[in-house]
Amino acid sequence: MTARIVAVINQKGGVGKTTTSVNLTHALARLGKKVTVIDLDPQSHLAVSLGVVSPQTTGIDEVMLEHCNLQQQLIPVRQNLNLIVAGPRLQEIEQLNEGGARRGDLLRKALHENLDDQDFVFIDCPPSSGVLVANALFAADEILVPMTSDYLALQGLSHLMGTIKKFESALKKHYKFSLVMSRYIATRRISKDVLNTLQKYFPGQILATTIRETALLAECPSFGKTIFEYRPGCRSARDFTALAKDFLEGKVM
Amino acid sequence: MADKNENSLIGYDPLAWMHEQAEEKTKPSVAVACPEADAILDEQLYAESPAEQNIADAGWQDVAVDATEEGAFADTASIVLEPVLSIQTVAQLHEQLLAVLNSSNKIEIDASAVTSADTASLQLLLVLKRTAIKQQKEVVIDFPSDKFIEVANLLGISEMLEVDRAAAGFF
Repeated sequence: MTARIVAVINQKGGVGKTTTSVNLTHALARLGKKVTVIDLDPQSHLAVSLGVVSPQTTGIDEVMLEHCNLQQQLIPVRQNLNLIVAGPRLQEIEQLNEGGARRGDLLRKALHENLDDQDFVFIDCPPSSGVLVANALFAADEILVPMTSDYLALQGLSHLMGTIKKFESALKKHYKFSLVMSRYIATRRISKDVLNTLQKYFPGQILATTIRETALLAECPSFGKTIFEYRPGCRSARDFTALAKDFLEGKVM
Repeated sequence: MADKNENSLIGYDPLAWMHEQAEEKTKPSVAVACPEADAILDEQLYAESPAEQNIADAGWQDVAVDATEEGAFADTASIVLEPVLSIQTVAQLHEQLLAVLNSSNKIEIDASAVTSADTASLQLLLVLKRTAIKQQKEVVIDFPSDKFIEVANLLGISEMLEVDRAAAGFF
Protein backbone atom coordinates (compact mmCIF):
# COMPACT_ATOMS: atom_id res chain seq x y z
CA MET A 1 0.00 0.00 0.00
CA THR A 2 1.21 3.52 -0.78
CA ALA A 3 0.15 6.51 1.28
CA ARG A 4 -1.43 9.48 -0.49
CA ILE A 5 0.81 12.46 0.25
CA VAL A 6 -1.17 15.67 0.63
CA ALA A 7 0.41 19.12 1.03
CA VAL A 8 -1.82 21.61 2.86
CA ILE A 9 -0.51 24.77 1.33
CA ASN A 10 -1.17 28.46 0.93
CA GLN A 11 1.59 31.03 1.28
CA LYS A 12 -0.91 33.48 2.74
CA GLY A 13 -1.14 33.37 6.53
CA GLY A 14 -4.34 33.02 8.52
CA VAL A 15 -6.30 31.07 5.92
CA GLY A 16 -6.74 28.00 8.11
CA LYS A 17 -3.92 25.69 7.03
CA THR A 18 -3.16 24.41 10.51
CA THR A 19 -6.81 24.32 11.60
CA THR A 20 -7.58 22.26 8.50
CA SER A 21 -4.55 19.99 9.00
CA VAL A 22 -5.41 19.30 12.65
CA ASN A 23 -9.13 18.74 12.33
CA LEU A 24 -9.29 17.11 8.92
CA THR A 25 -6.58 14.58 9.83
CA HIS A 26 -8.31 13.81 13.12
CA ALA A 27 -11.63 13.46 11.30
CA LEU A 28 -10.05 11.02 8.84
CA ALA A 29 -8.46 9.09 11.71
CA ARG A 30 -11.86 8.88 13.42
CA LEU A 31 -13.24 7.44 10.20
CA GLY A 32 -10.68 4.63 10.51
CA LYS A 33 -8.00 5.92 8.16
CA LYS A 34 -4.35 5.68 9.16
CA VAL A 35 -2.94 9.18 8.98
CA THR A 36 0.43 10.81 9.64
CA VAL A 37 0.64 14.57 9.75
CA ILE A 38 3.95 16.40 9.37
CA ASP A 39 4.45 19.86 10.85
CA LEU A 40 6.55 21.62 8.20
CA ASP A 41 6.09 25.03 9.78
CA PRO A 42 8.98 26.11 12.03
CA GLN A 43 6.41 27.89 14.23
CA SER A 44 5.23 24.39 15.34
CA HIS A 45 1.59 25.44 15.63
CA LEU A 46 0.32 22.08 14.40
CA ALA A 47 2.07 20.23 17.22
CA VAL A 48 0.79 22.73 19.79
CA SER A 49 -2.73 22.33 18.45
CA LEU A 50 -2.45 18.58 18.99
CA GLY A 51 -1.14 19.04 22.53
CA VAL A 52 2.58 18.43 21.86
CA VAL A 53 4.45 21.38 23.31
CA SER A 54 8.03 20.24 23.92
CA PRO A 55 10.08 22.73 21.83
CA GLN A 56 13.28 20.66 21.91
CA THR A 57 11.75 17.48 20.51
CA THR A 58 13.43 16.72 17.19
CA GLY A 59 11.24 15.88 14.24
CA ILE A 60 11.22 16.35 10.50
CA ASP A 61 14.19 18.75 10.85
CA GLU A 62 16.55 15.90 11.80
CA VAL A 63 15.08 13.67 9.09
CA MET A 64 15.75 16.27 6.41
CA LEU A 65 19.07 17.61 7.70
CA GLU A 66 20.68 14.52 9.22
CA HIS A 67 18.85 11.72 7.37
CA CYS A 68 17.64 10.31 10.65
CA ASN A 69 15.04 7.53 10.45
CA LEU A 70 11.56 8.88 9.79
CA GLN A 71 9.86 6.08 11.73
CA GLN A 72 11.72 7.06 14.89
CA GLN A 73 10.19 10.54 14.76
CA LEU A 74 6.58 9.37 14.73
CA ILE A 75 4.56 10.41 17.76
CA PRO A 76 1.20 8.65 18.13
CA VAL A 77 -1.07 11.52 19.16
CA ARG A 78 -4.54 10.01 18.67
CA GLN A 79 -5.88 6.65 17.60
CA ASN A 80 -4.86 6.17 13.93
CA LEU A 81 -3.12 9.55 13.94
CA ASN A 82 0.66 10.07 14.09
CA LEU A 83 2.48 13.38 14.28
CA ILE A 84 5.98 14.33 13.15
CA VAL A 85 6.87 17.63 14.79
CA ALA A 86 8.82 20.41 13.08
CA GLY A 87 11.83 20.31 15.41
CA PRO A 88 14.02 23.21 16.50
CA ARG A 89 16.26 23.16 13.40
CA LEU A 90 13.57 23.29 10.71
CA GLN A 91 14.18 26.98 10.05
CA GLU A 92 17.73 26.06 8.93
CA ILE A 93 16.26 24.34 5.89
CA GLU A 94 14.44 27.51 4.87
CA GLN A 95 17.81 29.21 4.86
CA LEU A 96 19.73 26.55 2.91
CA ASN A 97 21.45 28.35 0.07
CA GLU A 98 23.52 25.56 -1.40
CA GLY A 99 22.56 22.34 -3.07
CA GLY A 100 20.61 23.64 -6.07
CA ALA A 101 17.34 21.88 -6.77
CA ARG A 102 18.40 19.03 -4.48
CA ARG A 103 17.54 21.22 -1.48
CA GLY A 104 13.96 20.82 -2.55
CA ASP A 105 14.10 17.04 -2.63
CA LEU A 106 14.93 16.28 1.00
CA LEU A 107 11.41 15.50 2.17
CA ARG A 108 10.47 13.43 -0.87
CA LYS A 109 13.54 11.26 -0.33
CA ALA A 110 12.76 10.89 3.37
CA LEU A 111 9.20 9.80 2.66
CA HIS A 112 10.14 7.46 -0.16
CA GLU A 113 9.12 3.91 0.75
CA ASN A 114 8.45 5.06 4.29
CA LEU A 115 5.03 5.25 5.95
CA ASP A 116 3.67 2.80 3.37
CA ASP A 117 1.36 1.39 6.02
CA GLN A 118 -0.44 4.76 6.19
CA ASP A 119 -3.46 5.80 4.14
CA PHE A 120 -2.54 9.46 4.16
CA VAL A 121 0.47 11.63 4.92
CA PHE A 122 -0.49 15.29 5.36
CA ILE A 123 2.11 18.05 5.25
CA ASP A 124 1.14 21.27 7.03
CA CYS A 125 3.15 23.94 5.18
CA PRO A 126 4.40 27.27 6.49
CA PRO A 127 2.89 30.52 5.21
CA SER A 128 5.78 31.24 2.85
CA SER A 129 7.06 30.20 -0.53
CA GLY A 130 10.62 29.14 0.20
CA VAL A 131 12.64 25.96 0.44
CA LEU A 132 10.26 24.22 2.89
CA VAL A 133 7.26 24.70 0.62
CA ALA A 134 9.38 23.55 -2.31
CA ASN A 135 10.10 20.36 -0.35
CA ALA A 136 6.39 19.82 0.20
CA LEU A 137 5.70 20.29 -3.51
CA PHE A 138 8.47 17.88 -4.49
CA ALA A 139 7.06 15.26 -2.11
CA ALA A 140 3.31 15.65 -2.56
CA ASP A 141 0.92 13.92 -4.94
CA GLU A 142 -1.99 16.10 -3.94
CA ILE A 143 -2.42 19.72 -2.95
CA LEU A 144 -5.12 20.93 -0.59
CA VAL A 145 -5.47 24.71 -0.45
CA PRO A 146 -7.48 26.25 2.39
CA MET A 147 -8.99 29.51 1.17
CA THR A 148 -10.69 32.29 3.06
CA SER A 149 -13.41 34.15 1.24
CA ASP A 150 -11.78 37.58 1.02
CA TYR A 151 -10.26 39.43 -1.88
CA LEU A 152 -6.62 39.28 -0.77
CA ALA A 153 -6.87 35.50 -0.49
CA LEU A 154 -7.81 35.45 -4.19
CA GLN A 155 -4.74 37.53 -4.94
CA GLY A 156 -2.60 35.11 -2.96
CA LEU A 157 -4.15 32.14 -4.74
CA SER A 158 -3.19 33.65 -8.08
CA HIS A 159 0.45 33.72 -6.97
CA LEU A 160 0.21 30.19 -5.59
CA MET A 161 -1.23 28.83 -8.84
CA GLY A 162 1.70 30.35 -10.73
CA THR A 163 4.06 28.55 -8.37
CA ILE A 164 2.23 25.24 -8.66
CA LYS A 165 2.23 25.42 -12.45
CA LYS A 166 5.99 26.03 -12.41
CA PHE A 167 6.51 22.98 -10.25
CA GLU A 168 4.24 20.84 -12.43
CA SER A 169 6.24 21.88 -15.45
CA ALA A 170 9.66 21.45 -13.88
CA LEU A 171 8.88 18.17 -12.11
CA LYS A 172 6.73 16.84 -14.95
CA LYS A 173 3.93 15.87 -12.62
CA HIS A 174 0.30 16.81 -12.33
CA TYR A 175 -1.05 17.36 -8.84
CA LYS A 176 -4.52 16.36 -7.75
CA PHE A 177 -5.73 19.77 -6.61
CA SER A 178 -8.51 20.66 -4.16
CA LEU A 179 -9.65 23.84 -2.48
CA VAL A 180 -11.36 23.96 0.88
CA MET A 181 -13.36 27.03 1.85
CA SER A 182 -12.20 27.87 5.32
CA ARG A 183 -13.32 30.49 7.88
CA TYR A 184 -16.39 30.99 5.74
CA ILE A 185 -18.84 33.71 6.76
CA ALA A 186 -22.00 33.01 4.79
CA THR A 187 -23.68 36.29 5.69
CA ARG A 188 -21.07 38.41 3.88
CA ARG A 189 -21.64 39.25 0.24
CA ILE A 190 -17.90 39.19 -0.51
CA SER A 191 -17.82 35.53 0.63
CA LYS A 192 -20.30 34.53 -2.05
CA ASP A 193 -18.55 36.60 -4.71
CA VAL A 194 -15.17 35.04 -3.88
CA LEU A 195 -16.74 31.58 -3.94
CA ASN A 196 -18.40 32.30 -7.31
CA THR A 197 -15.05 33.46 -8.70
CA LEU A 198 -13.36 30.32 -7.45
CA GLN A 199 -16.05 28.10 -8.92
CA LYS A 200 -15.42 29.72 -12.29
CA TYR A 201 -11.70 28.87 -12.24
CA PHE A 202 -11.75 25.62 -10.26
CA PRO A 203 -14.83 23.72 -11.35
CA GLY A 204 -15.01 20.32 -9.66
CA GLN A 205 -12.06 21.15 -7.40
CA ILE A 206 -13.71 22.83 -4.40
CA LEU A 207 -14.65 20.38 -1.66
CA ALA A 208 -18.40 20.43 -1.08
CA THR A 209 -18.39 21.37 2.61
CA THR A 210 -17.43 24.88 3.65
CA ILE A 211 -15.80 25.25 7.07
CA ARG A 212 -17.68 28.05 8.74
CA GLU A 213 -15.92 30.59 10.94
CA THR A 214 -16.59 29.89 14.62
CA ALA A 215 -15.10 30.99 17.91
CA LEU A 216 -14.66 27.36 19.00
CA LEU A 217 -12.16 26.66 16.21
CA ALA A 218 -10.08 29.59 17.45
CA GLU A 219 -10.27 28.39 21.05
CA CYS A 220 -9.37 24.71 20.86
CA PRO A 221 -5.60 25.02 20.02
CA SER A 222 -4.93 26.66 23.39
CA PHE A 223 -6.08 23.44 25.06
CA GLY A 224 -4.16 21.17 22.67
CA LYS A 225 -7.43 19.64 21.56
CA THR A 226 -9.02 19.10 18.19
CA ILE A 227 -12.57 20.30 17.69
CA PHE A 228 -13.81 16.72 18.24
CA GLU A 229 -12.35 16.75 21.73
CA TYR A 230 -12.98 20.37 22.63
CA ARG A 231 -16.66 20.48 21.71
CA PRO A 232 -17.84 17.16 20.25
CA GLY A 233 -20.89 17.43 18.06
CA CYS A 234 -20.66 21.20 17.57
CA ARG A 235 -21.22 22.80 14.19
CA SER A 236 -17.47 22.94 13.41
CA ALA A 237 -17.00 19.29 14.35
CA ARG A 238 -19.84 18.39 11.99
CA ASP A 239 -18.26 20.55 9.27
CA PHE A 240 -14.94 18.74 9.56
CA THR A 241 -16.54 15.30 9.60
CA ALA A 242 -18.45 16.21 6.45
CA LEU A 243 -15.26 17.62 4.90
CA ALA A 244 -13.40 14.38 5.63
CA LYS A 245 -16.13 12.41 3.87
CA ASP A 246 -15.98 14.84 0.91
CA PHE A 247 -12.23 14.36 0.79
CA LEU A 248 -12.51 10.57 0.78
CA GLU A 249 -15.38 10.42 -1.70
CA GLY A 250 -14.22 13.27 -3.95
CA LYS A 251 -17.45 15.18 -3.30
CA VAL A 252 -17.12 18.70 -4.70
CA MET A 253 -19.27 21.79 -5.25
CA MET B 1 -10.81 37.63 -20.23
CA ALA B 2 -13.10 36.40 -17.53
CA ASP B 3 -16.73 37.47 -17.60
CA LYS B 4 -17.46 40.40 -15.31
CA ASN B 5 -20.58 40.62 -13.22
CA GLU B 6 -21.31 44.30 -12.59
CA ASN B 7 -22.80 43.59 -9.16
CA SER B 8 -19.80 41.55 -8.01
CA LEU B 9 -17.57 42.85 -5.23
CA ILE B 10 -14.57 41.38 -7.06
CA GLY B 11 -13.08 44.32 -8.98
CA TYR B 12 -9.81 43.32 -10.65
CA ASP B 13 -9.86 39.54 -11.06
CA PRO B 14 -6.40 38.25 -10.11
CA LEU B 15 -7.12 34.77 -11.49
CA ALA B 16 -8.06 35.93 -14.99
CA TRP B 17 -4.65 34.91 -16.34
CA MET B 18 -5.57 31.26 -15.76
CA HIS B 19 -8.32 31.38 -18.37
CA GLU B 20 -6.21 33.53 -20.68
CA GLN B 21 -3.36 31.03 -20.47
CA ALA B 22 -5.72 28.13 -21.15
CA GLU B 23 -7.03 29.94 -24.23
CA GLU B 24 -3.48 30.62 -25.44
CA LYS B 25 -2.62 26.94 -25.14
CA THR B 26 -5.31 26.10 -27.66
CA LYS B 27 -3.78 28.46 -30.26
CA PRO B 28 -1.08 27.03 -32.56
CA SER B 29 2.43 28.35 -32.02
CA VAL B 30 3.37 30.73 -34.83
CA ALA B 31 7.08 30.00 -34.61
CA VAL B 32 6.66 26.26 -34.92
CA ALA B 33 3.81 26.21 -37.38
CA CYS B 34 5.15 28.60 -40.02
CA PRO B 35 8.17 27.44 -42.08
CA GLU B 36 8.22 30.73 -44.02
CA ALA B 37 8.71 32.64 -40.77
CA ASP B 38 11.60 30.31 -39.87
CA ALA B 39 13.28 31.08 -43.16
CA ILE B 40 12.94 34.83 -42.57
CA LEU B 41 14.37 34.42 -39.08
CA ASP B 42 17.34 32.52 -40.44
CA GLU B 43 18.06 35.28 -42.94
CA GLN B 44 17.88 37.95 -40.29
CA LEU B 45 20.05 36.00 -37.94
CA TYR B 46 22.83 34.74 -40.09
CA ALA B 47 23.13 37.01 -43.13
CA GLU B 48 24.31 40.37 -41.80
CA SER B 49 26.86 40.97 -39.06
CA PRO B 50 30.16 39.07 -38.73
CA ALA B 51 30.16 39.11 -34.91
CA GLU B 52 28.07 36.31 -33.41
CA GLN B 53 26.72 38.30 -30.50
CA ASN B 54 25.75 41.19 -32.72
CA ILE B 55 24.00 38.74 -35.00
CA ALA B 56 22.09 37.33 -32.10
CA ASP B 57 21.12 40.71 -30.73
CA ALA B 58 20.05 42.07 -34.09
CA GLY B 59 18.12 38.94 -34.91
CA TRP B 60 16.11 39.09 -31.70
CA GLN B 61 15.31 42.76 -32.14
CA ASP B 62 14.08 42.33 -35.71
CA VAL B 63 12.04 39.25 -35.08
CA ALA B 64 10.36 40.68 -32.03
CA VAL B 65 9.17 43.68 -33.98
CA ASP B 66 7.66 41.40 -36.63
CA ALA B 67 5.89 39.38 -34.02
CA THR B 68 4.46 42.44 -32.31
CA GLU B 69 2.96 43.55 -35.59
CA GLU B 70 1.29 40.19 -36.00
CA GLY B 71 0.02 40.28 -32.42
CA ALA B 72 0.62 36.57 -32.08
CA PHE B 73 2.10 36.29 -28.56
CA ALA B 74 1.49 33.52 -26.11
CA ASP B 75 1.84 34.43 -22.43
CA THR B 76 4.52 32.02 -21.29
CA ALA B 77 6.83 29.57 -23.04
CA SER B 78 8.98 26.96 -21.36
CA ILE B 79 12.30 25.52 -22.45
CA VAL B 80 14.24 22.72 -20.81
CA LEU B 81 17.99 23.04 -21.24
CA GLU B 82 19.99 19.97 -22.26
CA PRO B 83 22.50 18.57 -19.73
CA VAL B 84 25.49 19.61 -21.85
CA LEU B 85 25.53 23.15 -23.23
CA SER B 86 28.45 23.58 -25.62
CA ILE B 87 29.54 25.44 -28.74
CA GLN B 88 28.27 22.44 -30.73
CA THR B 89 24.72 22.92 -29.47
CA VAL B 90 24.61 26.69 -29.14
CA ALA B 91 23.23 27.35 -32.63
CA GLN B 92 20.34 24.97 -32.00
CA LEU B 93 19.64 26.57 -28.64
CA HIS B 94 19.80 29.97 -30.30
CA GLU B 95 17.08 28.96 -32.76
CA GLN B 96 14.95 27.52 -29.99
CA LEU B 97 15.22 30.66 -27.87
CA LEU B 98 14.58 32.89 -30.83
CA ALA B 99 11.37 31.05 -31.61
CA VAL B 100 10.01 31.43 -28.08
CA LEU B 101 11.10 35.04 -27.78
CA ASN B 102 9.19 35.64 -30.98
CA SER B 103 6.03 34.04 -29.67
CA SER B 104 5.94 34.73 -25.93
CA ASN B 105 5.99 37.50 -23.37
CA LYS B 106 7.61 35.35 -20.74
CA ILE B 107 10.17 32.57 -21.15
CA GLU B 108 10.83 30.07 -18.40
CA ILE B 109 14.10 28.19 -18.82
CA ASP B 110 14.51 25.03 -16.78
CA ALA B 111 18.23 24.69 -16.05
CA SER B 112 17.92 21.87 -13.52
CA ALA B 113 19.52 19.20 -15.73
CA VAL B 114 22.60 21.18 -16.75
CA THR B 115 25.82 19.36 -15.88
CA SER B 116 28.16 21.30 -18.15
CA ALA B 117 27.94 24.73 -19.74
CA ASP B 118 30.42 26.71 -21.79
CA THR B 119 30.83 30.46 -22.21
CA ALA B 120 29.05 30.52 -25.59
CA SER B 121 25.86 29.09 -24.11
CA LEU B 122 25.84 31.36 -21.08
CA GLN B 123 26.61 34.35 -23.26
CA LEU B 124 23.62 33.41 -25.39
CA LEU B 125 21.35 33.26 -22.34
CA LEU B 126 22.70 36.58 -21.14
CA VAL B 127 21.99 38.25 -24.49
CA LEU B 128 18.52 36.72 -24.45
CA LYS B 129 17.87 38.20 -21.05
CA ARG B 130 19.13 41.64 -22.03
CA THR B 131 17.15 41.61 -25.24
CA ALA B 132 14.04 40.50 -23.40
CA ILE B 133 14.40 43.34 -20.89
CA LYS B 134 14.62 45.87 -23.72
CA GLN B 135 11.42 44.44 -25.14
CA GLN B 136 9.72 44.46 -21.74
CA LYS B 137 9.58 40.69 -21.72
CA GLU B 138 10.65 38.37 -18.96
CA VAL B 139 13.17 35.55 -18.96
CA VAL B 140 13.35 33.39 -15.86
CA ILE B 141 15.89 30.65 -15.22
CA ASP B 142 14.19 28.06 -13.07
CA PHE B 143 15.84 25.41 -10.92
CA PRO B 144 19.43 26.18 -11.96
CA SER B 145 21.64 23.19 -11.20
CA ASP B 146 24.71 23.56 -8.99
CA LYS B 147 26.90 23.38 -12.07
CA PHE B 148 24.92 26.08 -13.86
CA ILE B 149 25.23 28.40 -10.87
CA GLU B 150 28.93 27.58 -10.52
CA VAL B 151 29.69 28.46 -14.14
CA ALA B 152 27.58 31.63 -13.97
CA ASN B 153 29.47 32.65 -10.82
CA LEU B 154 32.80 31.89 -12.49
CA LEU B 155 31.92 34.15 -15.40
CA GLY B 156 30.59 36.82 -13.07
CA ILE B 157 27.12 36.83 -14.64
CA SER B 158 25.06 35.01 -12.01
CA GLU B 159 23.53 38.30 -10.89
CA MET B 160 22.67 39.31 -14.44
CA LEU B 161 21.14 35.91 -15.09
CA GLU B 162 19.40 36.21 -11.71
CA VAL B 163 20.59 32.85 -10.51
CA ASP B 164 22.58 34.38 -7.66
CA ARG B 165 19.51 34.25 -5.43
CA ALA B 166 18.28 30.93 -6.76
CA ALA B 167 19.30 29.39 -3.48
CA ALA B 168 16.91 31.64 -1.62
CA GLY B 169 13.88 30.05 -3.15
CA PHE B 170 12.52 28.17 -6.09
CA PHE B 171 10.06 30.72 -7.32
